[in-house]
Amino acid sequence: MSITRRDLFHLAGAGAGLAAGKKLSGFTDYFAPAAAASGSVNTLITACGICSPSCGIQATVQDGAIRFLQGLPGDQSGRGKLCGKGASGAQFAYDPDRLKYPMKRTNPLKGLDVDPGWMRISWQEALDTIAANLKGALDTSGPESLLFVTGGAPDIWARFMNSIGVVNRIDHLDECFLSDRIVQKYTTGGKSWCNDFANSKYILLFGWDILAKSKLTYSQGIVDARDNGAKIVVFNPQYSATAKFADEWYPIKPGTDLAVALAMINVIVSESLFNLDFVTNYTNFNDYAPAIQTHFAQYTPEWAEQQSEVPAAAIRRIAREFATRGPGIVPAHKKTLCANYQNGTQLVHAISILNILAGTIDRPGGRYFARSVSIPGVDAVYPPPAYPPKIGRRVDGKDKLPFVLEDGSGLFSTLSDGMLKQYPGMIKACFINAYTALGFPSPQRVFDALATVPFVAVMDTLPTDTVSYADIVLPSATYLESNDLVTRDYKALFPQVVVRQALIPAMFETKSIGYVALELGKRLAPGYFKDSNGDFINLSTLLDEKTRRAGLGTTFDDFRQKGIYSKDQAFVPRTTFSVPGTTKCQIYVPQFTKGAEPLPSWRPKRDLPDVNYPYYFLTFIPAVHRRNSTENNPYLHEIFPANAAMLNTALAAKLKVKEGQSVRITSRAGSIVLPAHLTETLRPDAVMVAHGFGHRSRMLSLAGGLGARDGDIIPDQSAGDMVNALNYGGAACIMDAVVKIEAV
Amino acid sequence: MAQYGWLLDSKRCIECRACETACKQWNNVATGVNVRYRQVNVREAGQFPSVSTTALSLACNHCENGWCQKVCPVHAIARRSDGIVLIDASKCIGCQMCVKFCPYQVPKYNSLVNKVEKCTMCADRIDQNLQPACATMCPTGALQWGDWSQLQSQGSGQVATFTDPRYTTPHIRFITDGWPAR
Repeated sequence: MSITRRDLFHLAGAGAGLAAGKKLSGFTDYFAPAAAASGSVNTLITACGICSPSCGIQATVQDGAIRFLQGLPGDQSGRGKLCGKGASGAQFAYDPDRLKYPMKRTNPLKGLDVDPGWMRISWQEALDTIAANLKGALDTSGPESLLFVTGGAPDIWARFMNSIGVVNRIDHLDECFLSDRIVQKYTTGGKSWCNDFANSKYILLFGWDILAKSKLTYSQGIVDARDNGAKIVVFNPQYSATAKFADEWYPIKPGTDLAVALAMINVIVSESLFNLDFVTNYTNFNDYAPAIQTHFAQYTPEWAEQQSEVPAAAIRRIAREFATRGPGIVPAHKKTLCANYQNGTQLVHAISILNILAGTIDRPGGRYFARSVSIPGVDAVYPPPAYPPKIGRRVDGKDKLPFVLEDGSGLFSTLSDGMLKQYPGMIKACFINAYTALGFPSPQRVFDALATVPFVAVMDTLPTDTVSYADIVLPSATYLESNDLVTRDYKALFPQVVVRQALIPAMFETKSIGYVALELGKRLAPGYFKDSNGDFINLSTLLDEKTRRAGLGTTFDDFRQKGIYSKDQAFVPRTTFSVPGTTKCQIYVPQFTKGAEPLPSWRPKRDLPDVNYPYYFLTFIPAVHRRNSTENNPYLHEIFPANAAMLNTALAAKLKVKEGQSVRITSRAGSIVLPAHLTETLRPDAVMVAHGFGHRSRMLSLAGGLGARDGDIIPDQSAGDMVNALNYGGAACIMDAVVKIEAV
Repeated sequence: MAQYGWLLDSKRCIECRACETACKQWNNVATGVNVRYRQVNVREAGQFPSVSTTALSLACNHCENGWCQKVCPVHAIARRSDGIVLIDASKCIGCQMCVKFCPYQVPKYNSLVNKVEKCTMCADRIDQNLQPACATMCPTGALQWGDWSQLQSQGSGQVATFTDPRYTTPHIRFITDGWPAR
């Protein structure tokens, strides 16, 4: 008897059914007390916390349990809708795998497949232990011995790090928008997230696959643009979900977007097609016209065709159309959305120049600055004593990159080199908040580096792989159990704030990072955590005070009931720009003369295909996942449970690989094995793998053990590598790997 | 009496799957047993680089002549007067005849409870004058729900790989035009 695919499907389904059956009873168990308590239906307003636009949510809470999440009418971000992730939100709060209590390790041996022997402890013991270890490191080895792997928010958490003089704060922004933020600061006056797609008539997308990432506010904008008659051109090695919305799609050679962008500047400048009024009145073009003209003269469309395989005639025509059929816009964002190659900083500079030449900075149909509401931070409400100076060596080497240092972000991609090679043994205590090593290039090197740290504390909602390396684990509340005020930073044509409020009390013994900041602050730097009366800061009072000072309501509870604040304000385009040293947009950036380059020059990506590694390695984030944090959500897991090696059918035929057959992908960094998925949407010289999979933690009952880590293929780097490559914006080189592919 | 149906405008679909997770959460559908009332199918056509994709968000089509209804040995499947086809869980014996006969692979067997389940068109929401959860959540209008008398003349009754609608008279229409070229 032969087993058919259908039989296998049924067998797999039956096995999964048993596992889910157990889980459902646990789920019902911890619902029961809440159901008994209230017996009511409430409609509450809150803000999504899965990705950064924080779409407004209208939540139905029934008998104390989250019943249904839908979009909030009147919200600019989601426009009354949620994406697939947003609508699955309750599953994060009710994930049975959640970290529930503070824990300490009883087995000193650390490793991914080693049982830490977790023991439940009290918050008091956990906080005391963390404080003692941080203090021990500070006293014996100074602030440079502390490593905080965390975002900078909320403000009270930043205050805690500032109060003890933390210099080594690392975040993932080098994989994200760091290079764009650095470039935009000096070209247009600050990172803008807002793209007025609805009023744009010409949209150029360099690898910017926002639909695949499902940031709703952008996706809706792209649909609006098509409804309103815009033309969309996409350069991407893959026919992406976004490419479906394009009039023209060019399967560009990976890492050569910069060449096409430079050639478009060449055409627009040499033919004087730019927006004359804007360029004359609001930019420094005329101060540097000869330098600009000479610099871009070398980048002809014919030259760019040689680099990119995009026909010169198309580059020339598209450049002309972009400049004359506007308003035109070229968005830049992060990682897969604006190709994160080693030349990514030069690319975002070229993109910024294209937007400036189109004359659409802060204009309808262009990239504009958020019309925001100023919400005072904790330092404005309770002014702190002077913070200690930031003294010490930078483990990620960002002091070698002056513009990165100035920005204040840390670097994921250089951390393990810093910990293992540049400054071995320097880090004595580490606090990791809501990050897993899966997000790093070469995650195994990060685990190796973590294993050298005498004390590691991890705070998260789920038992991630990184938790396996912790000495103390703190359980985090989800966004659905948190209170905050959330501005609209991704689509803010007028000022708007949406409340974030706890729909349910924080489950088990979970707490917010704000609570941890305050409690560790009380223990280590009490002088920084007091109000003017000398009493310790109270987080609820702080939120009340922020609400009041921002003009949103008398107290947080007052605003909580309203839920949303919108200010009726017309969109008035800026006539001055907040660029350092000038009020005009800068095409030529004189500040970039040292340590960078004032105009972007061509340089190739980090690794190029060769005899040993003949294929490009590309990554993406599926629409239903957010980085590496959502794979254990039951609804999202069901839609996209694991990654595969996406191969063009022609390449698969050459490699003699069939659909579903395992292939080994190997780069100079490492090797992974994945089932092949054949497609016609990808260039035949590339393999594409979804990010976010390959969790090893056995405590993640859905995501654990499924798929492979794309990061294992991606080489990490040293700060010196960045300097040598003139990667002054600190791009993490996520898309630079080249690989060989073998059937196994 | 009214008859309701679906209208899919594939070119507007951003493949975010809000329709799928909205359905799961409203109907509290079991997970881990391959029970998905609504699923977005993305199909490729053509050869690189002349390739295109079509995304279709599909659920029960609430057919006028559903074979599910005809083959059910215990008469657990019935059509309401407003055309919504429902499975009566108290009668369903989990035999899966409807699973085998539905030309659209809609009914799903839930091994946790030994019953077959499917899209109810959110009949409970419709009874409260609300739209089905999926259509409520769709951010771009790619998935619409409404009165069949309004929908039946729009678009086409059939797309590639969709079973000929003459067999069961499903209540779904497809807008097959792409975006106009610029």
